[in-house]
Amino acid sequence: MKKVTAFLIISFLFVLSVLLTTSTWAQTPLTGEEILRRVDANIGSDNKIATAEMIIHGRRGSRAIKSKSWVSGEEKSYTEYLAPAREEGTKMLKLEDQLWTYIPSTDRTIKIAGHMLRQSVMGSDLSYEDMMEDPELLNLYEANIIGEEIYLDRPCWILELTAKVEDISYHSRKIWVDKERYVSLKEERFARSGKLLKIFEVKEVRQFQNRWVPTRMVFKDALKNGMGTEYKIETIEFNADIPEALFTKASLR
Amino acid sequence: MIKFILKGILRDRSRSLFPVLVVAIGVFLTVLFYSYMGGVMTSFLDTSAKFDTGHLKIMSRAYAENSDQMPNDLAYIGVERLMNELKKDFPGYVWTKRIRFGGLLDVPDDSGETRAQGPVAGLALDLFTPDSLEWKLLGIKDSIVQGNAPEKPGEILISDEFAKRLGISPGETVTLIGSTMYGSMAAANFTVAGTVHFGITALDRGAVVADVTDIQMALDMEDAAGEILGFFDNFVYREEEAGLAALKFNVKYEGEKDEFSPVMMSLHEQGGMIDMMGMINLYLPVLVIVFVIIMSIVLWNAGLIGSLRRYGEIGVRLAMGESKGHLYRSTIIESIFLGVIGTVIGTALALVIAFWLQEKGFNISQMMQSSTLLMNDVIRAKVTPMSFVIGFIPGLLSNVFGSSIAGIGIYKRKTAQLMKELEV
Amino acid sequence: MILPRLALRNLLGAGLKTWLNVVVLSFSFVVIIWSQGLYKGMGDQARVAQTDAEFGGGQYWQEKYDPFDPLTLQDAHAAIPESLQTKIEKGEAAPILISQATIYPEGRLQTILMKGIDPAQSVVNLPTRFLDQENEDLPVLIGTRMAKNTGLKIGDTVTVRWRDVQGTFDARDAKIVQIMKTNVPTVDQAQIWVPLDKLQALTRMENEASLVILAQDTREFPQTSGWIHKDMDFLLKDINTLVKTKQVGGSIIYIILLALAMLAIFNTQVLSIFRRRKEMGTLMSLGMTRGKIIQLFTMEGAMHSVLAAVVAAIYGIPLLLSFAKKGWAMPQAMDDYGIALGEVLFPVYGTGLVIGTTVLILLVTTIVSFLPTRKIAKLKPTDALRGKMT
Repeated sequence: MKKVTAFLIISFLFVLSVLLTTSTWAQTPLTGEEILRRVDANIGSDNKIATAEMIIHGRRGSRAIKSKSWVSGEEKSYTEYLAPAREEGTKMLKLEDQLWTYIPSTDRTIKIAGHMLRQSVMGSDLSYEDMMEDPELLNLYEANIIGEEIYLDRPCWILELTAKVEDISYHSRKIWVDKERYVSLKEERFARSGKLLKIFEVKEVRQFQNRWVPTRMVFKDALKNGMGTEYKIETIEFNADIPEALFTKASLR
Repeated sequence: MIKFILKGILRDRSRSLFPVLVVAIGVFLTVLFYSYMGGVMTSFLDTSAKFDTGHLKIMSRAYAENSDQMPNDLAYIGVERLMNELKKDFPGYVWTKRIRFGGLLDVPDDSGETRAQGPVAGLALDLFTPDSLEWKLLGIKDSIVQGNAPEKPGEILISDEFAKRLGISPGETVTLIGSTMYGSMAAANFTVAGTVHFGITALDRGAVVADVTDIQMALDMEDAAGEILGFFDNFVYREEEAGLAALKFNVKYEGEKDEFSPVMMSLHEQGGMIDMMGMINLYLPVLVIVFVIIMSIVLWNAGLIGSLRRYGEIGVRLAMGESKGHLYRSTIIESIFLGVIGTVIGTALALVIAFWLQEKGFNISQMMQSSTLLMNDVIRAKVTPMSFVIGFIPGLLSNVFGSSIAGIGIYKRKTAQLMKELEV
Repeated sequence: MILPRLALRNLLGAGLKTWLNVVVLSFSFVVIIWSQGLYKGMGDQARVAQTDAEFGGGQYWQEKYDPFDPLTLQDAHAAIPESLQTKIEKGEAAPILISQATIYPEGRLQTILMKGIDPAQSVVNLPTRFLDQENEDLPVLIGTRMAKNTGLKIGDTVTVRWRDVQGTFDARDAKIVQIMKTNVPTVDQAQIWVPLDKLQALTRMENEASLVILAQDTREFPQTSGWIHKDMDFLLKDINTLVKTKQVGGSIIYIILLALAMLAIFNTQVLSIFRRRKEMGTLMSLGMTRGKIIQLFTMEGAMHSVLAAVVAAIYGIPLLLSFAKKGWAMPQAMDDYGIALGEVLFPVYGTGLVIGTTVLILLVTTIVSFLPTRKIAKLKPTDALRGKMT
């Protein structure tokens, strides 16, 4: 009970702070860093439970994969696949920079490490590594505003992110941030050479519990032919009550 | 006269046994050589047919384009229906489906955590259908180093070297991690039934032989396969027929625009095989002709000698008033009999061995201390209709020819000198 | 010394019969030498091709490098040790850096190896000089098999993506500057060659390599920590096994051939012993011992092989030499196994092979010639003179 109360209080304060700051944001000119901080604040750093559907377009048609995820902060997440039947019961646990998967048919918990992290998740245009990466961009990148643009009928800042750490997959990124909602609506990820590698586009944004959440988006490997991978968030619950025991290897089985 | 000659052959051992023996051995060697050469020449092809090309091979068009990347995402779906159709449309062939795949083999410790892991190349074959031809085709059982051949679903073979490196012994459970034909991560547990030696370092470093149904399940390839291989039911490749079959099949599917519709290729249409076929067609007859000529010389020699040997007997018969022409004819008829008997015995003996070599093969790897699955170290012969006939060329023709030349000597004998010669 | 001369005279005196046997036996000579030469040639050629293009005079592998496990490549690189660096500077060794990469020919991704090599190297026989192009961002050399697989032609550009030492993605448009034809699939399939310094810079692995190829005449192999010396026996294992297998298989052919020739000689021997009883009797009465007569007849038989060697030399040498010169065209069927058989096989006939074959045939012929002569031992001179044999 104590925990729940704590959560409620924290969330209350958080929502309050969001409400308070929103009113002041419009006045002071923002730095890229500040924008990025607000983007991170909008999307990350608390407990959430989401159900999502991933639609993978291959040469042979499309497949939909449903999953439910429990996320606690940036460090812990637990995902269970619900559909199709073949993937049902497959679970994935991420604890900091480690990833395990449990596949019911083998009754084995396998650590996904090294080279396997670079493989695609369920045949999508996303790799495990993409999934694993620290969602707080501010920890990884320097941000600079390089322009403004209307995207999806929303006025956006265009931020250029340049890596400030060494061991990182993408050396630079460009993100389009909604000026009011602080949601990243489009993202391009670049190789060190500046070559475009991956594109991420938001198609729909909805509000849940006072937060703006991209609910439909498309990921695409820019070098590969194909239609990319669609990602839909069906339900999302912030500040959810998640037992700590879920984030242990024992809960995979 | 024939009866007389036959009696002579049967009763006089020195007249029959030795010449027949010589002809028989000569013919035996010829027929064996012919069949063996057939086996050698085709074994090169066979290795490729068995492991890769089949006599006919069906893939989806998209798979065929990138076939060396094992693109299982482009595999053909609808294998069962297609195979039934093939059985109906192409009698005289046997069909088998295969999947090539890559992945990781993960060995758990007692608590189910990863103990060791290594990359593997996989070949999935039909192992458990009762009349599956794969066992015989690949000689899997002969290449097993440790343990047994897979007997039930869920059992696999792995490379021996790989097993040793990862510390896996037969009976242990391992997890194969790969990707499904849709790109998801796939994992399945298998029991290592035994280990094999492939003889190619790349495969000995890590390879898996598994049942195709198991792999279909593991890789989410229901009713799908990368390749369907077709073989002539007597396993003798006939180039023209195979070419026509492929043409017939492809015409049927020509109209389909789908990149996953099937396409058939005959063995000689696949990578470099045309050259190989050309070489075989050129050199096999040359080698056989050379050998038959040599053999003919030997048996001609034998025929010559046979006639010379009976110099004394001929003298007596001439002295008794037998006409030279009659004597000459009887010599030739006798040599025909000897030739036929010798050839039949020799051919029969050679065919027994050749058939055995064709069916079982003789594994020379025992001489080489290591038995391998991929390298063709099993000596095989190939029995064709020609195998039955070829022995008659040296056995009968050469022998009779030799006798007829030697027999000419009869005409040179002078009756006046006969008594002097016989004085001994 | 009378025996050999007598034997030779007898043999030549037999005329056509002898020559038939000799010709047949000479065939055995030629075929044995030819087929063994062919296998030896096959082995030598594959060894030479692979040595020239890939193995050099042995290699040093970074301790984590394992060509059969691409997953290890990520970690299989290190600074080149001092002792090897001196060799490299003297042109006696060539470092190779290998990185996993992805190329996107026609929008379909394909995992490959990107190998960095010094364009100026002369340690292995690859046309790396084409990579020496300052104005190209990333010049690439590929083999014909790779070109066929990917549909790439000279002048085409293709996107290559890789990760540097930290795991950061990098990608460039590479230009195919040359397509090489090689018999060695392991320097061709699923890989691209780029200039070493470029790759080192792009992957941020300055002065690092995955392996170092030594020049072919290298004699000293310094001990280096973290780098393992792989000798030629290790590198050529597959080829040596292949050739051995083929040689055993090929020997069946000449065992049959030899058996045939022996049949002819045996046949001749039996007959001549039967027909020449009187002669033997005469020789005995002249005081020759049975042993001597056995020696004479054995020698006669054995001399077939000497004559055969001469005959084989007369027509065999030009034939075999022309074969060695023109070679035997081979299809590319062994390619998939990663073994470099050339398109044309050139037989190699060593002195050992020729002498060995001659000795073998002489020995076998002598034994076969001797077997029927044992009958002579039981011969009584009186019977023999009358042409009788028991």
